[in-house]
Amino acid sequence: MGNRVAIVGAGMTKFVRRAQETGKELCYEAAKMALDSCDMNLDQIDAVALGTAPDTFDGVHMKGEYLSDGAGAFGKPYMRSYVGGGTGVFSVAQGWYHIASGLMDTCLVICEEKMSSYRPHPQGAFLTIFDHTTERPLKPNLLWIFALEMNRYMSTYGLRKEDIALVAVKNKNNALDHPCAQIAKAVTVKDILNSEVLAWPVQRLDVSPVSDGAVALILTNETIARRVTNKPVWIEGVGWSLETSYWTNRDLCYPRYVEEAARMAYKMAGVTCPRQQIHVAEPYDPFDYKELHHMEGLMLCGKGEAPQMTVDGITQRDGELPVCPSGGLLGVGNPIAAAGLMKVAELFWQLRGEAGKRQIARKPKRGVAQAWGDLMQVGTVVVVGI
Amino acid sequence: MAMKERLTKADEAKPWYGELPVESLYTAGIAGEKFFRSIQEKGVFLGSKCHKCNMVYVPPKIYCEQDFEKLEDYVEVADCGSLESFTCVHIGLDGKRLLEPMIVGLINLDGASTSIVHMLGETTVEELCMGMRVCAVFKPKNKREGAITDILYFKPTKQ
Repeated sequence: MGNRVAIVGAGMTKFVRRAQETGKELCYEAAKMALDSCDMNLDQIDAVALGTAPDTFDGVHMKGEYLSDGAGAFGKPYMRSYVGGGTGVFSVAQGWYHIASGLMDTCLVICEEKMSSYRPHPQGAFLTIFDHTTERPLKPNLLWIFALEMNRYMSTYGLRKEDIALVAVKNKNNALDHPCAQIAKAVTVKDILNSEVLAWPVQRLDVSPVSDGAVALILTNETIARRVTNKPVWIEGVGWSLETSYWTNRDLCYPRYVEEAARMAYKMAGVTCPRQQIHVAEPYDPFDYKELHHMEGLMLCGKGEAPQMTVDGITQRDGELPVCPSGGLLGVGNPIAAAGLMKVAELFWQLRGEAGKRQIARKPKRGVAQAWGDLMQVGTVVVVGI
Repeated sequence: MAMKERLTKADEAKPWYGELPVESLYTAGIAGEKFFRSIQEKGVFLGSKCHKCNMVYVPPKIYCEQDFEKLEDYVEVADCGSLESFTCVHIGLDGKRLLEPMIVGLINLDGASTSIVHMLGETTVEELCMGMRVCAVFKPKNKREGAITDILYFKPTKQ
């Protein structure tokens, strides 16, 4: 479908709890690093696709406009996309259609978040996403949704917290090998079960941290990709889908929005049997149970089967299907939009054999990245391959 | 029931009060930190220079927005410059008339390629003209906080 599009360069800042850099400066660091990684300069970039989550995090209204100069958008076609937590993976789709359509030859994709600005805690920024008459008077926060979902998921499939905690253990330990990781601390199932309860059954270490950071990718058409690198990573499929925006009307056990987005991306990529044809997966893991949820939505296993795959070690970095070898949001950190793009960057490095200590030994040839967000009803999926 | 074109009485539809609470603690950034510390400690404006295109950004940036070079050369610029434009503001944020109108100007400091916006003081609109020389008036050093408000205003000068 359309012209072939390749990822040829990537860059990311360290993910930290509070950066001294402004959001613009974080963008610049990641963008410059991505350009340098493939020996390109800004003159060779036709368009800039920026992704960033709610303005309230950075405390800057019209954040896209604010970040534009640091993102390298001066004198170029530029647009910010925003689908909440799904933004990071969606921004790759945005960059992809600029080039697939033939309109542009090259595109800089960049995602940024500076969550530490919000006071007293970024969680408060979410109050206003709920319905202003039926829900906000109850003072809800996002944890309500996650706790209700997690509890339902656990009771439907008879899961124990220990089974789910294995995801957090795996990802946080994987992050020990990521030079940009915010949390570099080994944890055990016991640590997770002993961490403070936020909203039962969600505990502190079931959750990814609050972070500042930026990630950038360079996308080009096939002609330029062949000139710039001998290791292009092709964007084989993109997909996104929206379920009901009324979160109380959704299936709490199964992310249909992820399945629909995955079906769109898989069809484009010619993937008919994901479990066989996908060699590495980076599903969105802001909470440990969400990795399991999303593996099922990505059809990497049947419904309710992801926990057993984790218990069996299949999703370990040296397992049959490595899942979140980067360390994911749980380990590397969760600067919302940047975290989603980090997942695509991880696939880029893994497929090129440049993931350093995180490198999967089995030489993966195709991977899938996915993110999720808005009022938790949007799924965004990208399939890449070599 | 057909949709009403408009409410004719205030109590026909129940109103709902709500607010969007946003409180932020910002950082000035790598370049901004240097800029404000220099104002606070020395009363000196800092810019950053791009050696590729010779732009001098005030306030400084860590990058050139035009060619994306990394900027590491911080240069002092003058605290006087030329008045690029000005206006007299009569309406406040609440839409009401200000008791005292305020004069706002765009100032291109000597040595800078860019302009900054600030208040003009010790003057009247009638006295001002485009290109006129103005200089910064700082708060006394012990009152400065490392903020843009450490500059009280710019005033016309014969320099």
